[in-house]
Amino acid sequence: MVGFLRILAGLALVAIIIVGGLWAVRLAGFGYLLSVSNERVEPVRAEIPFAPLVDMGLSDADNPTKVFRVDMARVEQEFPLSRGDLAGLVPANILAMNQEEVDQLYGRLTAGPIPDGPYLGDLFFPVGDTMESRLDEILGGLKGRIAAEKIETVEGAGRALWKGKMFYRDDRVLRNFIEDFRSLSGLIDDPEALERATVPREGILSWVLPTTDVYLLFPAKLYCGQSLLDGRRESVIIDYAYNDDLPGYQERPDGLAGRNGLRVRDEIRMIRPGFYLGRAYLNKVFLLNFTLWNAEVAEAGLTDSAEGAPVAEDCWAGEQVRHAALQ
Amino acid sequence: MGRVRLLAVVLCLLIALFPRIGSAQSVLSPEFAETNSIYTPTEAAGREIWMFATAFNDRFFTYTYPQRLGAAIDWYEVLAAGRRGDLFEAWGAIPDPDCCLPGDPDCPARSADQTYGFMWCPGDDDLLSFVGREGYVDPACGFEDAPFDAGTPHGAVDQRQNACDLRFGTSTGALGLRKFPNPRFDPVNWEEIGGWEGYAAFMAGDPADPDSRANRLMDGSVEPPFRIGMACGACHIAYNPLNPPEDPSAPEWENIDALVGNQYSRISNLLGNGMSQHRLEWQLIARARPGVVDTSALPMDFVSNPGTMNAIINFARRPLFEHQVLKWRKVAACEAGADPDVCWCEPEREGKCWEKSLQSEMVPQILKGGEDSIGFEEAIQRVYFNIGSCAEQCWINHVVDLRAADPAQRNYGQTPFDIGQCRRDCGSFRAIEDRLIDIKNFFLTARPSDLWQARGLESPRDLEIALDGEFFDGAVEEGRVVFAENCARCHSSQENPGVDTDFLAVEADDPTLRSDWLGSDEVVLASEIGTYGARAMHSNHAPSRVWAEYASLDEKARPADPVRQEVMKGGGRGYMRNISLLSAWAHAPFMHNNAIGPEICGKPGDPEVDFYSSPYVDGNGQVLAEAPGCWAYDPSVAGRYALYLESMNQLLNPDQRVAKMFVLDRDIVIDLAPNVELLGRDLGLSLTIPAGFPAVDVNSLRYKDMIQDLVLIGVDPAKFEAKYAELLTDAQRNELRDGLAEIRSVLLETKTIAAIQLALGHDEAVVDQVEGLTLRVGNDFVQRFYSNILDRVENAGHRFGEGLSERQKQALTAFVATL
Repeated sequence: MVGFLRILAGLALVAIIIVGGLWAVRLAGFGYLLSVSNERVEPVRAEIPFAPLVDMGLSDADNPTKVFRVDMARVEQEFPLSRGDLAGLVPANILAMNQEEVDQLYGRLTAGPIPDGPYLGDLFFPVGDTMESRLDEILGGLKGRIAAEKIETVEGAGRALWKGKMFYRDDRVLRNFIEDFRSLSGLIDDPEALERATVPREGILSWVLPTTDVYLLFPAKLYCGQSLLDGRRESVIIDYAYNDDLPGYQERPDGLAGRNGLRVRDEIRMIRPGFYLGRAYLNKVFLLNFTLWNAEVAEAGLTDSAEGAPVAEDCWAGEQVRHAALQ
Repeated sequence: MGRVRLLAVVLCLLIALFPRIGSAQSVLSPEFAETNSIYTPTEAAGREIWMFATAFNDRFFTYTYPQRLGAAIDWYEVLAAGRRGDLFEAWGAIPDPDCCLPGDPDCPARSADQTYGFMWCPGDDDLLSFVGREGYVDPACGFEDAPFDAGTPHGAVDQRQNACDLRFGTSTGALGLRKFPNPRFDPVNWEEIGGWEGYAAFMAGDPADPDSRANRLMDGSVEPPFRIGMACGACHIAYNPLNPPEDPSAPEWENIDALVGNQYSRISNLLGNGMSQHRLEWQLIARARPGVVDTSALPMDFVSNPGTMNAIINFARRPLFEHQVLKWRKVAACEAGADPDVCWCEPEREGKCWEKSLQSEMVPQILKGGEDSIGFEEAIQRVYFNIGSCAEQCWINHVVDLRAADPAQRNYGQTPFDIGQCRRDCGSFRAIEDRLIDIKNFFLTARPSDLWQARGLESPRDLEIALDGEFFDGAVEEGRVVFAENCARCHSSQENPGVDTDFLAVEADDPTLRSDWLGSDEVVLASEIGTYGARAMHSNHAPSRVWAEYASLDEKARPADPVRQEVMKGGGRGYMRNISLLSAWAHAPFMHNNAIGPEICGKPGDPEVDFYSSPYVDGNGQVLAEAPGCWAYDPSVAGRYALYLESMNQLLNPDQRVAKMFVLDRDIVIDLAPNVELLGRDLGLSLTIPAGFPAVDVNSLRYKDMIQDLVLIGVDPAKFEAKYAELLTDAQRNELRDGLAEIRSVLLETKTIAAIQLALGHDEAVVDQVEGLTLRVGNDFVQRFYSNILDRVENAGHRFGEGLSERQKQALTAFVATL
């Protein structure tokens, strides 16, 4: 019973509208850090099936403007993704999808194994059915365009600061890594105490310098849990709410992501080994998508997949059979 | 010797190849089995399923409920062995007679450490050994199925879904609540957080600290030793009015009835007891009077409408109505290439198929607004969704995400649950569906609780004599005439009831079965009855809503009530079904929300779990300082009868009723902005809604519509006009547009002021502004256009009979007690 507040939005609506803009500006730069990544990659359209963006068979007499999406179980049943479909996907493909397509892809994935080691990340905000920024679609006109540009700015800032996630699978812990924390130094209690790690480098520079040192911030707990988009099977949850339990936690800045801060919660599902699709929420409000990529695992995974190796699952995979993906 | 060796090898192979068979409740508890012995095999099977089957909802309560829906249950506060004495008084829960306190002389568990603090119940010797590891064989696997019904299109071969999927677990000590070993349990982590107490404890004491409203029940990384599931019995099992226990905290099986409905249950409070009482969810949803629960709070329809757990009695004479029913029906085969949305056969089964078809069918109108009108068995099946079964597999994706504010986003609103998909993708759905006939057969065994029997009298005539002595000579007969002339039009299922009607007639071939349902079961406009209308505005069965497939086509097409002032009132809303007066003496207080009559309350030993708060208000909706007290739970015959008398008095004398309306009994604190320090400034912002604010002003608000409309009038006025073209008159639409424009303007202006004040560090001024605006949700304009229910007084209406003389009222009270 009881979902989160029948009315929180009803009550908080006013508050959000009044103070939301200001706080968003104050906090966006920090909050978005937690989920994002590198330089922008050019989107490439993938040839995988999707259900129609809108279920035209449904309508609501109370709200004729309401958009109905095709039920996720039906998407999976009627537009299954084969293992080959998933093996062909790369992060650039996700960038070419509107939000409904991203959602339909996510719904046709399983959690896969809880990742281990470093994963490079990329982030992107929701794009509407017209492939415009969702804010642009909602607000329209000049205001919409301005909002969309702000989002792009935030996206770029996030990409510049956040580089990926380091998974400590055995400890069920995760930390986010950034290459340079100087822009955040005012937010950090003790910069000297920050943990560091060496991770693979991406891009042309990696030919010369295959690794780079990064700083680890914003610890989170890792567990199998509920997806806030698709309840039919579990996702891997990256939960910052109780990160003050974790070793190395610093109130500033790690508390910003915690239960008394922005209440960040990510969830990820595996597209294929080494490649995960994620969703980031602030206080359970969907904010943006992200991808995680580990080239080494991805390459090994393709080999295993070609040899017909079964996909490992750490989490509850539900009961709807993914016939195509098992082949 | 060789033969012995061969036998040993075969035995070992058998053990290795086949899983251990669990032991169902009828095996685990001889005392329970004894109570089952009066039933036929199908009735007994149905009873056992109804009382113990959770159909896999332990995952729902452990994971989906806190993580996706954002609510939390502190099971230990309810089920700790040491709290057994408060089970009934605090929660209205019925203690399981088979469970014992660890350490008691005859209890197999020597200490609470062995049971993780819970009571020890039959089957726990096996269950406890699987906490923290896989391999548990559920007792349902040992369930003895009733003989297979070979007379259906599914043929003569028993192809029922494996009974393991019924998922019984073992008792928690409270009937209807079942426990399962959690294979993910980590004892080290559990010890670190401090066990059950640490799991639920709030993390700070200072109310100004947001951690004073946070505990670890929302920490999904913590896996408790048990997953708790819920059977239908959790709300429907209660004390037998004919044979109540001497001590309600220590009943025997003979005192327990699985179908009578628990009018003492505080299931709503239980479903929110893991949350701070300063949280929105607690104040607006978890608080409800005993014996009611809002089953449309979870698949949220944005109208708070807790309703009673009705007595399931005399169903063999429940009226049926012709409806246009589009549903799945059993068939032996589907044509090759058939559309699976129309005809579907279960894989790996022979001839176990269903076809979706539209037929005119005689069906009961089960729910309080006549919903669940596609068949008896389908209505039973849907109860399992109310308790969380198959949530992940089939229905959580169809319910509203309360935080999704973008209309293009999935879960912005409801979508219709798909019965065919659920059958395909949830084994527990099939396990229940394949045994619905057993549950239905069990339902049909229940009979009314006659007061003459409850008092140990010899006959109905003896009761009449006693009541005449209590009221006045001839009271019962005079009351019968009053009833026939004033009440029977609605409260009888006989044709043209009148003074010659025998309302107590029984069936010739079964004298335990009443011929008269004592209610027409017809649906009427709630406004005609005048009772609190929130339940009538329930919309989960409307077209495109989550339970749309459980409504007949004609039910969804019922015309809207022209009298109602709410904006959203179509799709079959606005109606209430008449109720049966069978055993009315045992089921007070009255009405669908238990609101007419005294408030009842438990008297737990621990004041922390005393949930009574007075709903009595004055004419201005302010809490009465000197309100009537609550009546202590008393399930004895005398106790029920006394409650009946006073409830009848209030029913027939509406002017004497003191108005009831739930208001917040504590401030609600909403933490809006992060409570962190940044650049020397504390960023924390909290919003407070003061105690005393009417709960319904906020818990029935269509806030998403309001948000959307505030945006639309600014950026897409044409879409706004289109949205309301069919819903509002031109004048109403103009009023709404103008009112929204004013709010929008105030918001934008306030935003600017707030920005300046924040920049100057005047955070408190901003909070004051925000709170002031937030409380405007209670103003007339917002309520008229965005509340799903405009009624406020919960014990209003049903004024029928107020014009009777005092003598007639007494006579009527005497007669109704005989029903």
